[in-house]
Order: sequence, then C-alpha cells, then structure tokens
Amino acid sequence: MAGGGVGLLREPTQRSGRGDEQVLRLGASARAWRTLLLLALTVGFVAGSLVGQDTWWPFSPWRMFSTSTPPSGAVVAMAVEVRTAGETRWRPADLTPASIGLNRAEVEGRVPQIQSEPERLGTLALAHARLEPRSPRWTAVRLVRRESVLLDRRPTGEVRSTVLARWEAP
Amino acid sequence: MSRLRAWLFEPAPLARVALLRFAVYVFVVLDVLALHTSGWYHGFASPVWYEPLEAGRLLHLPAASVLLVELLKWGSVAGALVAMTGRFPRASGWVVALSWSWYQYVAFSYGKVDHDRADFVVALLLLPTVGMAHLSDRRLSEAAGFALRSVQLAAIATYLLSAVAKLRFGGPGWVNSATLVRAVVRRGTPFGRLFLETPWLLHAMQWLIVAAELLSWTIFLLPDRWRRLMVLGWYLFHAGVYATITIAFWPHLVMMLAFLPLEQYRDRLVERWRRRSVAVPEVV
Repeated sequence: MAGGGVGLLREPTQRSGRGDEQVLRLGASARAWRTLLLLALTVGFVAGSLVGQDTWWPFSPWRMFSTSTPPSGAVVAMAVEVRTAGETRWRPADLTPASIGLNRAEVEGRVPQIQSEPERLGTLALAHARLEPRSPRWTAVRLVRRESVLLDRRPTGEVRSTVLARWEAP
Repeated sequence: MSRLRAWLFEPAPLARVALLRFAVYVFVVLDVLALHTSGWYHGFASPVWYEPLEAGRLLHLPAASVLLVELLKWGSVAGALVAMTGRFPRASGWVVALSWSWYQYVAFSYGKVDHDRADFVVALLLLPTVGMAHLSDRRLSEAAGFALRSVQLAAIATYLLSAVAKLRFGGPGWVNSATLVRAVVRRGTPFGRLFLETPWLLHAMQWLIVAAELLSWTIFLLPDRWRRLMVLGWYLFHAGVYATITIAFWPHLVMMLAFLPLEQYRDRLVERWRRRSVAVPEVV
C-alpha cells in the first residue's frame, strides 16, 4: 500500500504530548467483577459451542452453514402454496414474517408438527389476514417440499416437488 | 497473569468508546425498525408456534403478543436515543441491552435461531460499564479499554467458534462438502448464482473460510496497521457473502469497529472537512 494512500488504514498520528493524557485507572473490585463477568461469558459461549444447542441462545453454537451437504444429492427447500376463494390453481406464498408472521426457516423447523396437525397451516392464513387485511383471504394452504438435484456440486436443473400437508378452510 | 491483566485493561481513549457506543445505538434503532423485525411479526403469529428457549424457561417468558413486541421495540428505540446523547449511559444502555435481547429472544423462539446476533449482547452489556464518555474526551481509561477488548474478543470468538461448530455439526468433511452450493441454490442472488457455474471456486472458498476462522485470533498479535488490514479483509468477506446470498451479520459488523481508532478517523475527517469548507490559509 502506498504510504498513507488509504486514509482509514494510515498509521495513526502519534500525539507528541502523550504524557499529558490522563489515565483513569480502575480499582481492585472494579477490575475483579469485570474479569468475572468476562470469564462467565467466555464459559457460556465456549460451553454452548461444545455441547449446547440452539435453545441455549445467546450461548448457542455459531452454526450458520455448519452442516455438510453431500456434493451429489438434493438441496431441500420448503415452500408454502395457497389458494383464495374461487382460485383453482395453487400459487406460492411469501414465506416472510411480513406475510405469515414466520419465515421459511421457522416453517422448515416444524415440518413434523405440521404433518401431524395440518390445521397449523390454517394459522398461517389467519396471520396473513391480520398482517395484510386488504388482500383476499386464503382458503387453502399446503406445504410443499422442493428438492433441487445436485450432481458433483452442480445443480442438474431437476426439481422434485412433494406435497407434505394440506389445510382447507372449513 | 499480570501481562494478561494489563492486556485486558489496556487504557483506551474514552472518545473511542463514545464513538463506538454512538454507532452501536444508531444500529439498534435501524435494526429494530428495519433490519431484523421478525420479532415484531411474532406478536401476530399464533402462540402455538412458540417454543421457549432455555432462557425463556428459566425466566418464565411468555409467548409474544402485539403489546409485548411493541414495548420491546419502542423500549429499544427510546433507550438507544437517550444513550446516543451520552446522558445516563448506564441506565439507558441497560434498558437497550434488556429490551433488544428480549426482542431477539422473541424473534428466535418461534423455531429458528439466527446464529449471528449473540455477540452483540456482549457489546450492549459491557459498553454501559464505562460510564460517562464524551466524544471529545481524550483521557485514557482502563474501563474503556476493557469494554473495547471484550467487544473485540466476542467478535473474534464468533469466527473461531464458527469453525468449532463446523467441525462439530458438519464434521471434518465440511471443507469438502457442497454447503456453499446449497446456500447459493437456496438463496443465491443472480450474482451468487454465477458461482454455480464454477463449483470448484465455492469448494475452495470453504477451505479458505475455515482457515481464516481458525486463524482469526492472530489479529491480537498483529501490529496496528496489519490489524486494520485484517478488519478490512473481514469486511470484504462479509460484503462478498452479502452479494452472493444476501446474508449479512449486521450486529457483528458494528462490533468489528472496536478494532479501529475511531476518534482518529473522526478527527482526520473533521480536519479535512474544515480545511475544505473554511479554506483558511495554512497556519504553521
């Protein structure tokens, strides 16, 4: 890097009068409780990473993108499809908090519950009606699993869809 | 031991903490109003979706309601606005720490825990411990140094512990898996999808990511200039992640500011701006 070319990365200018800068020290007890607090936080974060689960938040493991996906196989994503009164075709709904009060990962985390109680999908229609009162009511909601096929790290373009659960307004 | 203590409590300018706090509290306002609002929407979701986390079980936290999420949201904003003025730094700071953390709890107790936001709790807890810190206060303080060091440690711990999580959940084979391909297939931007044409690049990135995470702690051994370059490197990495899969670890990006001599940047900018706008002749 050229000498001082990038402003933010330039060496800080050493102030000559360093000596006249006053240093505020901490007493023994102020140091002690701070050290203990830091130690407790460290224990929490390390333990969470080694043996904790998501439910330990804020001490949950930092597991974003930490699972291994086989280079050949399928990438699974869930979709929610809906119909309004009079519609015959299913269309995909936004899986966002603004649309159903939940996001896609939250729905994906509850697939077994949704399959055993499909009426849970009805609560999404209700939440949607509260969040977007002006748009037409959903009268049917279904959960669809989409698998994009991978072959040696490349998507082949093939997408398999399976309907996992379905709810119709009574 | 005494060297470690000296390192943890290395005096730092109060103005630096004041600037970092200002950035942190500006971020809190943006975050609860615009960036991370899923907690608010959970006020509208049916309580059947609520699954208390350990903290919620311990403290008997109820499912979200519209009233609760509004309280937490506006509590965070009000606390942050007061904290930005520099007044009542402890009281306002802890109001923010409590309401922001609870708001995140509400966001995370409906089936999905985001894995990038926990380190910010450390910043919100420790920055108020410095007490009064004026933007122009040039005095050095051990309390300021400790708070900054803790924020730095938390920020770097997220990298190191991410590598630990990859080993724990993905196994040593993580580096040779197709995890980044999966991420791009599921949520890639048009720019990110270009990388599906060159899967070997995503594969190489996985090795690079783990190596960088495992070596992240070396930032504490580097001289100032290299430390700042390393921070820049991490910012570029996060910008790349955002451009490809629109994921940004926003609170963490704010915390990385704790490595930078913010008051010197501020002084330099002010000086430059003054020279330009006033155009006073150079005085020796």
